[in-house]
Amino acid sequence: MNQNILKKTVLRAALLAIIASACANGSTNNDSSTGQTDTSSQSESSDEITLTLLAYDSFTPSENIFDAFTLETGIKVEIALGGDAGELVTKAALTAGNPQGDVLWGVDNTLLSRAIESKIFSAYKTKNIDDLDESALKLVSNYDASPVDTGDVCINYDIKWFTDRKIAPPLTLRALTSASYANLLVVPSPITSSPGLAFMLATIAEFGEDGFNEYWKQLRQNGVLVVDGWNEAYYTEFSGSSGKGKRPIVVSYGSSPPAEMIYASPVPATAPTAVAALTCYRQVEFAGVLRGTKHEREAQLLIDYLTSVTFQEDLPLTQFVYPANTKAKLPAEFLKYSLRPELPLQLDPKLIAAQRTVWLDIFTNTVLR
Amino acid sequence: MTSAYRHTTKWLAIAPIAVMLAFVLVPVLNIFSTSLRLDSFAILSAATTRNIVWFTTWQAFISTAIVLVIASPIAAVIANFKFIGRRALISLVSVPFILPTVVVGAAFLELLPRSIHRSALAIIIAHVYFNVGLAVRIISSRWQQIHPQLDDAARTLGASTIRTFLTITLPLLKKSFISAGLLVFLMCFTSYGVVRILGGPARSTIETEIYFRAMQLGDVSGALVLSILQLVVVGILIFLITNIGKAKASPKFGQTVYSRMHHPRSSRQKLLVATVAITTAVAVVTPLMSVLHRSIYLGQRFDTSAWRSVLVDTEIFSSLLTSLRYAIFSIVVSSIVGLLGASAIVYGSSRYQFVNLITSIPIVLSAVTLGLGLIITFDVNPIDWRGSWLMMPIAHCLVAIPIVIRIISPVLRDLPNDLRDASRTLGATTWQMWRTIDLRIITPALITAAAIACAISLGEFGASSFLVRRNNETLPLTISRLLSRPGDSIQAQAYAISTLLIVVCIGIIAIVDYRDSNERGI
Repeated sequence: MNQNILKKTVLRAALLAIIASACANGSTNNDSSTGQTDTSSQSESSDEITLTLLAYDSFTPSENIFDAFTLETGIKVEIALGGDAGELVTKAALTAGNPQGDVLWGVDNTLLSRAIESKIFSAYKTKNIDDLDESALKLVSNYDASPVDTGDVCINYDIKWFTDRKIAPPLTLRALTSASYANLLVVPSPITSSPGLAFMLATIAEFGEDGFNEYWKQLRQNGVLVVDGWNEAYYTEFSGSSGKGKRPIVVSYGSSPPAEMIYASPVPATAPTAVAALTCYRQVEFAGVLRGTKHEREAQLLIDYLTSVTFQEDLPLTQFVYPANTKAKLPAEFLKYSLRPELPLQLDPKLIAAQRTVWLDIFTNTVLR
Repeated sequence: MTSAYRHTTKWLAIAPIAVMLAFVLVPVLNIFSTSLRLDSFAILSAATTRNIVWFTTWQAFISTAIVLVIASPIAAVIANFKFIGRRALISLVSVPFILPTVVVGAAFLELLPRSIHRSALAIIIAHVYFNVGLAVRIISSRWQQIHPQLDDAARTLGASTIRTFLTITLPLLKKSFISAGLLVFLMCFTSYGVVRILGGPARSTIETEIYFRAMQLGDVSGALVLSILQLVVVGILIFLITNIGKAKASPKFGQTVYSRMHHPRSSRQKLLVATVAITTAVAVVTPLMSVLHRSIYLGQRFDTSAWRSVLVDTEIFSSLLTSLRYAIFSIVVSSIVGLLGASAIVYGSSRYQFVNLITSIPIVLSAVTLGLGLIITFDVNPIDWRGSWLMMPIAHCLVAIPIVIRIISPVLRDLPNDLRDASRTLGATTWQMWRTIDLRIITPALITAAAIACAISLGEFGASSFLVRRNNETLPLTISRLLSRPGDSIQAQAYAISTLLIVVCIGIIAIVDYRDSNERGI
C-alpha cells in the first residue's frame, strides 16, 4: 500500500510539475500578448481542443449556443453533466487540482465558500468584468469565479385558489405559520434541492440562527409538506402548475410566473401564479476555470464567452434566470411577468459555509424526523 | 479433493485477485486514508444517526418478516404439487428480483395511491415485491428434498396434516427459512434505489445517508464513518449466512430430488393450488402491467408516441446502445474473472479461501464509498480513467463478479472426483480433462451466471449514477432523469424504457430457468 501511495504521489507531483510549467509558459505568453498574438497561438493548437464544461443536470442552454464560440476561437465545447449542484461541487472538491473538466458552471452562493475553500478554481478576471452585476461580484474575492446569473427563490402561490376562496394569499414568511394556511405549503428539501436550501437560508436570514428552528417547528405543526426536489414540489404537488396538485403555496423561483405564461398554450389571459416578494432569497450562480486544467487559456476564453452578452441573453428563456451581465437585454415577455424583489434576503457565504451542516442537521431533526 | 488442478491454482487466482486489488481494495483504502478524520466518529452518537440506523433496521426486519410469511404458501405449493404452469410460476416469481430498482420504483409510484408515496409503507411494499421470489426459491428447493416417506410415516401414526407440518416439515425447513431471512434482510438493509425513489426526504437508510453526507453535505469523512458502520453489520450478516449455508447438508451433484410432488388430489388441494398460483401471478404482474399501461396511455388516450420516441429520440437510443455495450462487457469480463475465481477457490487448497473473502468485498461495501474511491484513485496517468467510459462497466463487473463466483463454485465443488480420475487414467492432459469434464458440467451454471451478470449491468443504478460521464448514460439513469422531469409525455417515455427492461429481465429469467433445471443459484 505504502509503495502504491508513494508511487501515486510521485506521479502526481510529476504531473503537477508538468502542468505548472505549461501554465507558466502560457501565462508569460499572455502577459506580453496582444489580441493578435492570441489568435495566432490559437490557430496553432485550436484544431484539436475540446473543452469540457462541467454543469449540473438541469443546465439546458439553447442547442447551438456554443457554435458562435467555436466559430470565433476554433475551440469546441462539450457539456458534461455531473449530478445536481451539490454533487458537482463535492466531486470537484475531491478532484481539486486534477479536475474532471476544464470549466465548472453552476456553483451558487450557498455552495460558493465550500468550492473556494476546496481550492477547485484557478482565479481569472474575465474581460467582461466591468459589465457584471456589482452586488454579485462582491460575493467572491480574488476572482476565483465569475458570476453568471442571478435569480430569486420565493414563495409562489396559485392566484385562482385564493380568489375562489376569498382568502388573502400569504405575503411574508411569518404568515405561513398562521392557521389559515394550514396544510397548504409544499417545499423541496434543503438537503437534496438547491431552491430548498435557499428557502431554508431565507428563513435563517429572516428569523436568525436562533429563531429559524422554532419557525420550522411551527411550519411543521402547520402541516408543511417536504418533498425531495423542486420538480416534484412544483409540478406534482403545487396546484398552480401543470400537475394540478393539492397545495396552492410552493417554494419556487421569482421567474416561475413568466415561465407559466411563456410556455403555456394557449397563453392564459392573466398569470395563474404570483410571487410573494418579501419571501425572496437571492441566488447567484458562478462559473470558474477548474484548477489544474490542461487548457487554462482556452478555459479562460470560455469564461469570457459565458459572461458575454451573446451567451447571457440566452439564459432568461432557457434557464429562467437573470443574466449577470448588465448589458444583456431581457426578452419583453420575461420582463413583463417576472418580479425582481428590491431587497432580497441574503446571508454571508462565509457564514453559510461554516454553519451549513449544523443548520441542515437542525432542520432534519426538527422537520423530517 | 480436487488435487488434479492444484498446481494451476495460483495462475487461476491471479486475475480475480488483481481485479479486486486494483479496483476495490486500493480505491477504498485510498479514500479512507485521504478523507477519514477521527473526529467524524462523533456522528455515531448523534441523534440523527441513531434514527437512521433504527429506521434501516426496523424496515428491513418488517420487510423480511412479511416476505417469509408470503413466501411460505407459495413455496409449499411449488414444492408439493404438480400443476400446469408450475415452472412458469417459479420463473415469474423470480422476475422482480432481477428487475432494475428504478423500474420497480417507477412501477410503485404509478400503482400506489399518492397518500402513501414518501412513506415507510411504500418502501416496505417494494422490498417485499423484490424479495419474495428469492425466499420462495430458497425455501422450495429445500422443501423438495424432504423425503415424502417422512410425511407418510407421520400420517400413518395418526398425525394430522397440520401436525405433520409442524413437527416434521417445519423443523427440517428451519435452516432454509433462516438463510432466506438473513439474505432478504441483507438486501433490505442495504437498499438504495428503492429508498431514494419511494422514501422521500424524511426516510433515509444508512446507504442513502452515506450518499447524502458525501454528495450533498460534502462531509465525505462522516459518510465514510457510516460506511464502516454498515460494513460491520453487513459483514456479520454475511458471516451468519455463509455459516448456516455450510451447516446445511449441501445438495450434492446428482442428488435425487424426491418425488414429493403430486397432482392436487382433493378439491380443497386444487383450490389451494389455484388460489396461491393465481394470486401470486396477479401480484407479480400487476405492477408490471401498470408500467406498460402508463407507457401507452396519456391520461385516458391511447398513444404510442412514447414508444416511437424510444427508437427515434437520439438521447434515449444512445443510452440503449450504451446499456447494451456495457451489458456485453459485463457478461464477458465478469464470467471469465468469476469463473477463474470460482476455480481458484474450489481447486485450491485452503490457502486460497482468501480469494473467496476478497471477492465478496464489493457486496459488503457501500456503492458510494467505492465510487468515491474510484474517482480519486484513477486520476493520474497512466490510468487516468475518470473521463473514460470504462469506469462504469467495470463497476458493473465488480458487483457481478461475486455473484458469478457464488453461482459457479457450488457446481464445481460438487463435481465428483472419480470422473477426473478416470479421465486421467485414460491419459487426458489437465486441459483436456478440464475442458471435457468440468467445463461441460458447469456450462449451465456459467450461462446462468452470464445472464445474471447481464441483468445486473442493465439494472445497476447506485454506482452508475455516480460514475456517469458525458455521453454514457445507461437506461436506468435515463429513466430516473425522465421521471424527475415534468410532463406526462416525458414520463411516458420513462415508462416505455421501463417496459423494455422488464421484457429483457423476463427473457433473462427464461434463459436461466430453461437451462438450469436443477434450481441452484438464484
